[in-house]
Amino acid sequence: MSSPEQPPVGPATGRGFGRVLIAVYAIFAVAATARSAVQIATKFAEAPLAYLLSALAAVIYLVATVALARGDKTSRRVATISISIELIGVLVVGAASLFFPDAFTVTSVWTGFGSGYGFIPLVLPIVGLWWLRHTRPQSRPKK
Amino acid sequence: MTGWYATSIIVIALIFACWGLILILRNRRPDLFLAAGGVLIELLVIGFLVGGIVQMISSDRDFARAEFVCYLITCTAILPAAFIWARSEKSRAGLAVIIVAYLVLPILIIRVQQVWAGSGV
Repeated sequence: MSSPEQPPVGPATGRGFGRVLIAVYAIFAVAATARSAVQIATKFAEAPLAYLLSALAAVIYLVATVALARGDKTSRRVATISISIELIGVLVVGAASLFFPDAFTVTSVWTGFGSGYGFIPLVLPIVGLWWLRHTRPQSRPKK
Repeated sequence: MTGWYATSIIVIALIFACWGLILILRNRRPDLFLAAGGVLIELLVIGFLVGGIVQMISSDRDFARAEFVCYLITCTAILPAAFIWARSEKSRAGLAVIIVAYLVLPILIIRVQQVWAGSGV
């Protein structure tokens, strides 16, 4: 994603801890995309809603990964929106799968608050939003 | 697919993850040993990919073949991607990226084995 001729110092969202965060986001983007692609290609008719939800999660992870890696003004906004949707998604799907388990017989990344993935899907958007806030331009000197 | 070969990849990846943790705690940069581990593991994983596909073709069992190949390809891609992504990062975070990759690889190998054994998505 980053080309070698770029200066070593990239956008603030992609430096230091952000490097790790983006790597984790990329892993989830790949995992969710591959999973939903397989689900939709092989057994979409079984549970279209759940599989569309999986696909939505995949798209959100992809958008968040790219936006965090780019880190310019527009990308920061895109990242904030997509990560907020991600947080709402994992909370709503997590709660729904807890109260209506019958409706969630097929799993997605967000089922059970991401329990199938070590609850990382629940923690990730919170950390992501914190990181966006932490790297906000000219927010350091005063409140 | 569930034999000693896969297990040894998992063990070696975890050893190098620990080595990475030792380096990061001592505030060191990624060293040659860590990189050599990456090359070794990558070669083993490529062997795993080839062996997996050969076994899949010669098997007429019913299991999620597309997923199986997806996971195998992801296994081979994760270490190179992590090293490229970590290269331009001079702080300890670069090392952390490599550690994450060493920790995720065993999970991917286990998923490959689960898909091979027949549990689906």
